[in-house]
Amino acid sequence: MGQDMYMEWDSNGAELLHTPGGVQDIYGVMCANKLKIQSAVHEVLSSYGFRDIQTPAFEYFDIFSKERGTVASKEMFKFFDRGNNTLVLRPDMTPPIARCVAKYYKDEHMQIRLSYIGNTFVNTGKYKGKLQEVTQAGAELFNDGSSDADAEMVALTIECLLKSGLKEFQLEIGHAGFFNGLVKEAGFSERETAKLRSLIESKNFFGVEDLLDSLTVSNELKEIFLKMPEMLNNLDEAIEFVKARSKSEDVYKAVERLKKLENIVGSYGFGNYITIDLSMLSNYSYYTGVIFRAYTYGNGEAVATGGRYDSLVSQFGKDAPAIGLAIVIDQLIIALSRQKLLDTGITQGTILLYPQSLRDMAVKEAERMRRQGSIIQLVRKSSQKQEEEYKEYAKRMGAEKVIYLKAEDNIEEWNVGQHF
Amino acid sequence: MRYITFALAKGRLAKHTLKLMEQIGITCEEMKDDKTRKLIFVNEELGYKFFLSKATDVPAYVELGAADIGVVGRDTIIEEGRKLYEVLDLGFGKCRMCVAGPASARKQLNDGSLIRVASKYPRIAKDYFFNCKHQTAEIIKLNGSVELAPIVGLSEVIVDIVETGSTLKENGLEVLEEICPLSARVVVNEVSMKMQHERITKLIHDLKQVITE
Repeated sequence: MGQDMYMEWDSNGAELLHTPGGVQDIYGVMCANKLKIQSAVHEVLSSYGFRDIQTPAFEYFDIFSKERGTVASKEMFKFFDRGNNTLVLRPDMTPPIARCVAKYYKDEHMQIRLSYIGNTFVNTGKYKGKLQEVTQAGAELFNDGSSDADAEMVALTIECLLKSGLKEFQLEIGHAGFFNGLVKEAGFSERETAKLRSLIESKNFFGVEDLLDSLTVSNELKEIFLKMPEMLNNLDEAIEFVKARSKSEDVYKAVERLKKLENIVGSYGFGNYITIDLSMLSNYSYYTGVIFRAYTYGNGEAVATGGRYDSLVSQFGKDAPAIGLAIVIDQLIIALSRQKLLDTGITQGTILLYPQSLRDMAVKEAERMRRQGSIIQLVRKSSQKQEEEYKEYAKRMGAEKVIYLKAEDNIEEWNVGQHF
Repeated sequence: MRYITFALAKGRLAKHTLKLMEQIGITCEEMKDDKTRKLIFVNEELGYKFFLSKATDVPAYVELGAADIGVVGRDTIIEEGRKLYEVLDLGFGKCRMCVAGPASARKQLNDGSLIRVASKYPRIAKDYFFNCKHQTAEIIKLNGSVELAPIVGLSEVIVDIVETGSTLKENGLEVLEEICPLSARVVVNEVSMKMQHERITKLIHDLKQVITE
């Protein structure tokens, strides 16, 4: 009986070379580009006084549990240790760093600046066309609850994106306290709030209207909820509108805080990169204040996110206001690549080709050149292979040139200069 | 100027949508030719691109940014569960998502015992039975002619779209429970909404005006 091809692919015995969906190998030019962008972002973060920290790739589930307000439980990769504790691959960098601050900087009451580069893992499910492992580079600023700190983190995000080579992007800024304050004033139940939140998140304002019609809520508050999507940029108008309709201190404070932030970001000279949007909601419920997300052309997801979380660290036992940002390096690379802003012609190094008889000379020469800062790859020429083959090889590998030690007094230099 | 790309669900929905677009001055002559085998249509002058896709694929095109705007039924939006902005109810293509079956199945729907449910919408069916009715259900995913399932004994009930109910009636079935109302919706990619804010909000605004008139 003839077995069909599909069954054969599916059966054992074939070598397994592919990765699971949602994760990827990064190699060649792409990897060179990724490292370049990572170090550019890292350099900016360092220049603002952030110091590196590394935390483990997996932690106890409790660090990311519902009370913390991070990624939903079913979106985490979970497994068990020998003591049957639930472990998760970190879906988000912020809670572990908050944990570290409570642990290692217990008594510090002035600014703490920490930065990181690490991979995060979110279980998005099959066939969604989304990455499940992404590298994030970010910074967290603790013990500073000022609007200056807010503005600095926004400016820092913008500078990171600019230094990575991105030119056109918009940073959208909102305030978690705005929606939370309104909901509190309206007295909605948890379930009603969740429904309202998901409708506003999907900008479904006809749905919002239907929902509000079915709930008991004052006309004034209803007007604010329905006006939310139009409350863009013009904060003076928004303040007036809100003050005439809401009695919530939290709500005024949120709008006024954004006004301050807008002014300070303006003095950084980044005013035209930001949009204030009061209908923006936080993806993580640990956010308490200013929240922001950066968008650009070429991919469907944010390239940077961030926000203020003044009560997360206290869950680990230390009262500390905090604000953080994360640049999603992999999303940034997708955007840069689709906008044709990546350097696709990175050529690297020199191949030093030598016959066995000239080994000593080659080793010495390589050492000398490396000391001068060159990148040298030593290749012993096989007598079985032609010079042409080495030229082709250098091209394939993206080397800048080949130096061929033919004889002690006969050194050839081949310029390859081929982009790959 | 950057293009704004529309993904339209093939069939009646697309025809209706194009008519609506024409009313706000967005035309695409190429698309009116029924014999064309082109997949993508361009209005160079106004900077719009259009393509038709299977309805269930529209949310994916829009979420991942291959299209900026999509027009698709709410059934597909809920079933696909993707992150999108759902900005406008176009008001046409109105129908309901229902639980249907022979009248005799009503008993099993009420006593909470294990029930077999066939549907093209496994996610909606699961969500309704588990989270709204708190009833354990065995969901069987089918790809078409779902009405057949209770007739031949594959399942007790079905979860499907009901417009007039005449197909159900002809086959001895009826609507047993209503899950939610449905209609055509405009969905927008999140990033497009930020990056092309002015053009897209104007478009939505104009469409809204035409609908309410």
